[in-house]
Amino acid sequence: MAKREMAERLVEAVIADFPDHKPGTRPAHTIGIGVTGHFRATKVACDYCVAEHFQGQKVDVTVRFSNSLGSPVKHDGWSDARGMATRFHLGGDKATDLIAMTLREFFSPTPEDFLELSKHARMRPVKAASIWSKIWDLLHLKPPLPDPYEGQTVSGLAGSLNYANHHRSAQLAAFDASYLGAPVSYARASYNAVHTFIVTAPDNTRRYVRFSWQPVAGVEAIKPSLSPEDDYLQPELRDRLEAWPAEFLLLMAVGETGDPLDDPTKAWPLHRARIVMGVLTLVKVPDDQDTYCEKLAFNPGRLTRGIEISNDPVLAARIGAYEVSRQLRGGSACPFSKE
Amino acid sequence: MSNGSAWLNRLVNSLADSKFFNFLAGRVLVPFWAWRTPVYPQHGGPHAAIQPGDNMQRMMNLVLPLKDKTAVGRAKAALAIASNLDEIYAGLDNVGTVHFARFVIINNNMCMISSYDGDFSNYIRDFVAQLGTVFDSVVALIEDGDAMIPTKENIDAFINWVHDRDVYQIPDVATDLLRYGTIRHPTSKPGMVDDLQLLPRALILQLNANPNALLGSGYRGYPGITVAQIRHKMGMGW
Repeated sequence: MAKREMAERLVEAVIADFPDHKPGTRPAHTIGIGVTGHFRATKVACDYCVAEHFQGQKVDVTVRFSNSLGSPVKHDGWSDARGMATRFHLGGDKATDLIAMTLREFFSPTPEDFLELSKHARMRPVKAASIWSKIWDLLHLKPPLPDPYEGQTVSGLAGSLNYANHHRSAQLAAFDASYLGAPVSYARASYNAVHTFIVTAPDNTRRYVRFSWQPVAGVEAIKPSLSPEDDYLQPELRDRLEAWPAEFLLLMAVGETGDPLDDPTKAWPLHRARIVMGVLTLVKVPDDQDTYCEKLAFNPGRLTRGIEISNDPVLAARIGAYEVSRQLRGGSACPFSKE
Repeated sequence: MSNGSAWLNRLVNSLADSKFFNFLAGRVLVPFWAWRTPVYPQHGGPHAAIQPGDNMQRMMNLVLPLKDKTAVGRAKAALAIASNLDEIYAGLDNVGTVHFARFVIINNNMCMISSYDGDFSNYIRDFVAQLGTVFDSVVALIEDGDAMIPTKENIDAFINWVHDRDVYQIPDVATDLLRYGTIRHPTSKPGMVDDLQLLPRALILQLNANPNALLGSGYRGYPGITVAQIRHKMGMGW
């Protein structure tokens, strides 16, 4: 299948997953908030990567935090993945993006598999399991599926779980997703770039790496026993940044021979060497959210000299899909460029 | 949902955390499922690996039940360590692959906890070469330990003995637990389909078969670095 056709099919598949998707908005991660701040690399970062933003100078950034669903309705308190897309504004009109989420791994090893998964994970009417079914599950030492949230009428959970039962590549993400919960703040979650990238050092050493953001304030999720609130993440972030900046460490795990370099469904061991590449400081929620958030279009393939994509087929497909999505909704690649 | 059925639904939702269900699970359900879908004790210690990063800072957590489960027995174990401190420190320095090691008495078990670089068998072999006398005096206080003494003359049997007493390490990748047991989807052909919802039961049955467990491979403050590299980089003269 041609790259463009695959990209279009991926976007269509994601849009089809959300019956209430609103044209002109993002197919997924529709609800979000833009934030500005700066990034400063650590002293060691330039030993590992020649990219401009790792040389130690202050680099302006725009970050968009998001909920993963493609619905235009806010459900901040629902257990789900959150996104953190970061744009590093380099010299001139240049920029590079880093797109991350709270899951440590992706559901599919190939775009074809993702198309199949999205059919199964499509939103379907949902209701609480019967009490007899729950008791039957408990007698099997099997936690019953959670009741739908109040007001929730559709869900893709059962379908995606069924798909994961038949496809081992989807199991880890499906299992981790079931325990994600909702963060108390966008600034209190870890975000993983999931895909492998290749960074080049000043001595031309090329390393396979995976990036992640760790919140300096620590990770904290809402207690699952509390009733979920629909709209707290954006007000919380505004209040937080008015009082004090929020910081994240950029960590870079270095892969070894034998690590799954091209498969985003497989997390690397937690004990891989990891380098602190820099500190991100978020200071402000701009008033102009249309420019700094809604119209802004990120892309995992927007890289700069010193960082390359790996042979991960999902990463390659996402690069095309993000561009198709941008064109569909009339997004701009960069608020400071004419792209 | 009517008020009555909503109340019943809430009751069932809270059942899993109730004392009644915990009693039922512990006394009836776990033994039943352990019988119906047997899970066998796993080997202790880290899983075999060929990648360098997986062979650095490996965790050993030996749990050795004391023969004498009184304060006197515990004091004898403490004395076996305290009276051999020079030998222990010199031995650990000479082995050269140990990040840290400590002896802990917990619930009448002598626990030897360490983090080391390299292969487990070679680690124990080096240890016995350096600390054989200390091992002998400790092992003499442990259940089923007498047959291992002198450890220097029973080295291969002793390595297996230690391995069996190193606690089982639960995999970092949670879904790997599905591969260890017989947990499959009940409606599928055997061996074809997993059931993610049964993963918690897989964990329960593993912990039933392996009551002591290391939860994952553990945190490392300086991952991917050996003792030798740290000593060299920090100019410590080894």
